[in-house]
Amino acid sequence: MAFLEIAGLEKNYRSEAGVVAALKGVELQVEEGTFLGVMGPSGSGKSTFLSCLGGLCHPSNGTIRVDGIDLYHLSGERLADFRAEYLGFVFQSFNLIPYLTALENVMLPLAIQSLATSKKRERAEEALQRVGLAQRADHLPSQLSGGEQERVAIARALVNAPPLILADEPTGSLDSATSAEIMALLTEINRTGQTIVMVTHNPDNRRYFHRMITLRDGRIAEDQTTAGG
Amino acid sequence: MNLGTIAFNNLWRRKARMVFLLAGLLLGVATVVTLLALTRSLTAEIEHKLDSFGANIVITPRSEELSLTYGGIVLGGVAVDRQELRQLDLTRLGDILNAANIAAIAPKVLGPATVDGTRVLLMGVSPSVEFQLKRWWSVDGRAPREGPEVVVGSGAARRFGLSAGARVAINGHPFTVTGTLHETGSQDDDLFLVPLVVAQELLGKHGVVSLVEVAALCAGCPIEDMVEQIQAVLPGAKVSAIQQVVKTRLHALEQFRVFSFGVAVVVILIGALVVFVTMMGSINERTREIGIFRALGFRRGHIVRLILTEAVAVSCLAGIFGYLSGMGMTRLLLPYLATDHPHLVWDPRLAAGAILLALLVGALASLYPALHASRMDPTEAFRSL
Repeated sequence: MAFLEIAGLEKNYRSEAGVVAALKGVELQVEEGTFLGVMGPSGSGKSTFLSCLGGLCHPSNGTIRVDGIDLYHLSGERLADFRAEYLGFVFQSFNLIPYLTALENVMLPLAIQSLATSKKRERAEEALQRVGLAQRADHLPSQLSGGEQERVAIARALVNAPPLILADEPTGSLDSATSAEIMALLTEINRTGQTIVMVTHNPDNRRYFHRMITLRDGRIAEDQTTAGG
Repeated sequence: MNLGTIAFNNLWRRKARMVFLLAGLLLGVATVVTLLALTRSLTAEIEHKLDSFGANIVITPRSEELSLTYGGIVLGGVAVDRQELRQLDLTRLGDILNAANIAAIAPKVLGPATVDGTRVLLMGVSPSVEFQLKRWWSVDGRAPREGPEVVVGSGAARRFGLSAGARVAINGHPFTVTGTLHETGSQDDDLFLVPLVVAQELLGKHGVVSLVEVAALCAGCPIEDMVEQIQAVLPGAKVSAIQQVVKTRLHALEQFRVFSFGVAVVVILIGALVVFVTMMGSINERTREIGIFRALGFRRGHIVRLILTEAVAVSCLAGIFGYLSGMGMTRLLLPYLATDHPHLVWDPRLAAGAILLALLVGALASLYPALHASRMDPTEAFRSL
């Protein structure tokens, strides 16, 4: 049984122009430890695909299983628990909480866990150290550069040691040197066994992936094994 | 770090919003506290003033006869010479359970006297108490003190051509007129008022009084109970409450309370609306943030708790500062509203009530915004990127 099993995934949105089909029957199986790249033109359904995978949008049809768990047969609160336990999100444009310091942002997923504060702090510091930002722990997001904010976002996705990390264009707003650093960091994380699904526009990133799918018009148009990892 | 840390960080680092929220609720609580504290202080003031309006308990000698006077018309021979009260017995009034509620005891002795060959009504009073109790008495001159001094009612003064400084013989004894009463439209206009001891001497009624008026100081004090208590210590007397005075007092206070309560409710509703609107605005602004929390695995319950923790923290502060501002406001306003007896009442129950009220209003007004936040679709949050 594959770690990720997606079968007949469809997602329709209602808009003023009528029903828009964002995903039209996606079939995919991904093994644990894979660094999967998702590419495709704008409007091809990449972000919707990632949202569905993250339990954030109910598909119109089809199933998504992560580690054997059928996401959309979980109740609302169980789905939240699943996200807390299984997923790490790295969002486009970082999405850090502006009023929390770097360390507090990293601790955020632990806020709802019944761990001692010292333990939470310790784990967050470890995660920050892993992304090379230990010395910036007390800075607010507004005091960090784009690359640093992205690292904080990655540390936040790592802090729970989730088996699956979903990244939505993490290098989209970074210069090429910083992008390379971030990709190297994600590769390193992937080497420790975490599965990463990353949406990207940048074809240069394909060298980091084990496998790359290209979405076009709501379907998988290409599925390639790449040299990365 | 827990939900509380996030809530407090948000409040602390977004001070402008917190201050606005705090101000909305604080104004409401402060207004309610001001109204309640003012009501309480003014109630004391009104009571104080009302007590100056006169007695509300009358002690007369027990008589088997029914009164045969009405509206100043005397029917039949109601003897003035009736059973009297012993002045010494009045000290027992100090022993009753509600003795502390007695503001003034005004004994008087009544009897006929002769001036210029005409029979007049002489009343012996304790001038300091009597003139204090009957604030509506306005004297041209001054009240009698001790010895042969008299204040004459307006009618009697006209009849005998008396004014302050004049001399007059009562029962053949020389008296100095220290003042005349302005017209009151009552039986007082025909009186000759002299010190109690002097009257007792003149009338040959040593140690006895004809009538005692008692002013009971009260916040809805148990007048009926006091009547019974006085009756118990003065078994030979007839004790009656002047119901009209009591009822008027209670009615005045009640109306004041109802008015304050009404204003307080309106102000609190406005405060709740301010909290509601600010919280809803804040939630809509934080759509993306709440989406992040949900994506990170926060349950709906966590979001509700987060928002309510913020609301409760601000409400608690608003309660404390609202109480203090309200009391400050009362202190500033009181001297203008209560001229005779300004007295600020610090009541810990009002403080606790203010904080509880703020918490209740803050939490209730934030409940819907909190539930609304928890129901937001996380993907909506990401679409706002």
